[in-house]
Amino acid sequence: MAYKSYLKVQYKTILGSLGWMFMGFALILLLPVIFCIFYPEEFSNAIYFVEAAAVSFLLGYVLWFFFGKGSQSSKLTIHEGAIIIFFVWLGAVFFSALPFVFSNMLNFSHAIFESTSGWTTTGLTLVHEERISKLFLVWRSLMQYFGGAGFAIIMLSSIGGGVSSSVYTAEGRMDNLQPHIKKSAKIILVIYFSYAVAGVIAYILAGMAPFDAFNHALTALATGGFSTSHSSIGGFNSIPVEIITIVLMTLGTTGFGIHYLLWSGDFRQLRKNVEPWTYLFILLLFIPLIIGGVFGSIYTSLNESIRHGVFQAVSALTGTGFSTTDLTVWNHYPLFLLTLLMIFGGMMDSTSGGLKLFRIFVIFKAIWIEIQKFFLPKGTVRYASASKGNIEYEIDSTLLKNILIFSTLYFLNYVIGVSVLVAHGNDLMKSAFEYASALSTVGLSLGITSTSAPDAVIWVQTIGMFLGRLEFIVILYAIAKLARDFKQYLQSSR
Amino acid sequence: MAKKTNLYIIVVGCGRLGSKIAGNLSNKGHSVVVVDKHEDSFEHLSQEFTGFSIVGNATEIESLKKAKIDKADMVLAFTNNDNINYMVSQVAKEVYNTPHVVARIYNPDNVPLFKQINVKVIIPMLLAESDFQRTFEEIIGE
Repeated sequence: MAYKSYLKVQYKTILGSLGWMFMGFALILLLPVIFCIFYPEEFSNAIYFVEAAAVSFLLGYVLWFFFGKGSQSSKLTIHEGAIIIFFVWLGAVFFSALPFVFSNMLNFSHAIFESTSGWTTTGLTLVHEERISKLFLVWRSLMQYFGGAGFAIIMLSSIGGGVSSSVYTAEGRMDNLQPHIKKSAKIILVIYFSYAVAGVIAYILAGMAPFDAFNHALTALATGGFSTSHSSIGGFNSIPVEIITIVLMTLGTTGFGIHYLLWSGDFRQLRKNVEPWTYLFILLLFIPLIIGGVFGSIYTSLNESIRHGVFQAVSALTGTGFSTTDLTVWNHYPLFLLTLLMIFGGMMDSTSGGLKLFRIFVIFKAIWIEIQKFFLPKGTVRYASASKGNIEYEIDSTLLKNILIFSTLYFLNYVIGVSVLVAHGNDLMKSAFEYASALSTVGLSLGITSTSAPDAVIWVQTIGMFLGRLEFIVILYAIAKLARDFKQYLQSSR
Repeated sequence: MAKKTNLYIIVVGCGRLGSKIAGNLSNKGHSVVVVDKHEDSFEHLSQEFTGFSIVGNATEIESLKKAKIDKADMVLAFTNNDNINYMVSQVAKEVYNTPHVVARIYNPDNVPLFKQINVKVIIPMLLAESDFQRTFEEIIGE
């Protein structure tokens, strides 16, 4: 009985805090309405966002009214954090899908797909960018921008306090920049915001319209990939724009810990960070291969090949998903290379998805150490480490175990997802490409993702994006804890 | 001293006392770094603690440098060994000029040593003694 009442207090706290967050989420949903100031003709579309905000606020208020009042004494640990973050994300995806449903633009499954693609910074899309309202374009960009930062950061900088710090670790963030979590969150937000402002200015200088500049700066930095043009960055056909995008994508895929070192001028520690080097190495290795794959067969000029090869490679590795060219005409070989880059993914504690470069570096270093060990005398102890942000991690069995579990979950999901796509009659190469794009939250597409795709294909991709963004484990924890607590509750009430 | 809301505090020793105090300070909004020789000790830390934890031997200057002792406003020497606490206090006070150093010491005989280098001390034995005195008075007074 004691355990039952303990569970009751726990879930009361969880539901109460969710109520607060959903009420706050209504504010985010109202942000696109501000753009009516610049585009008064869009006013009729604002109502959909107001409606969605009302739903979010009311549901939040109901939760808060029943559970949020009274004692909040129960201390929140990582277990409750996992459940909270799980439901915050589910809630965010659901509420963000509502404007698409209310306006009859997309049906429910498609709307959920679109908003998941937004919040997970994927960038696969089911809408035709040039046929929808500007407010919706802004909303898609905002989803990606906030999704890139993550809720923990937003919550910590706005409310702070106990709930948020339990959520911080649960959302898969380890990038403690300062010995206080609230300060770290603020620094991350300042860095993220300044880059966005710089991006908008750079795009405008390169000749983009302010509206396009705003949207692309947000989505490039979030390594999201939603565009305002149906042919993505290729629609602008401008080399300066492409270069700015490459820079922004690289900034987006760089972990905040590394940005912080750069900002605070700690170049000694910065040099020790393994991820930027891995990033450079992989790009320098893959770009020539991709150029070789497209030169001659797809593009006749070398310049074209280099231009598209470099852009697509960076877009795939950073997990952004912008494209400058029609990928459906590419052959299997360069597409396969892009698939590999998408699986690799960006750096840890950034806005990218995928396996992450830190994990890849550690795996290869571990292999290298094993080989060296073979030649060393028995019983020799070797210390090996890899630096990320301002922390040096020892490559020990715990770290390797975590990486093993993560990669196994990743590939398990990958295999299941690809099977579902292939089972629905898609080409194997296309399925492998498309699902890697969803699971690593990239957003490059070969056309499987479309409004005519079967619902199973849409949902398996939705789930892939969701799992990929939250890095699997926290979702498994949350579901396992929910199931366990439910079982215990039933048992104790008997 | 004007009351600062955000101090940079290093807690050396993450036992029952160190972890508890680190959690409280972190909750109050201070930047807290905990140093302990054993990684397992950090399990004492509560969820309130959001600072850094560094595995390292506090008698080695490298561990203290890693904790950025040169920037610290306050160093708390809370290990279970008076000698180590003295050494940490001395390094903080005399090498890095840390404004505030507080040490926990078990043996009251060591107090003059710490006083010499201008370190504030907490002596569990004396605290327990005065607490006992009070309890005793209460019992007698009834």
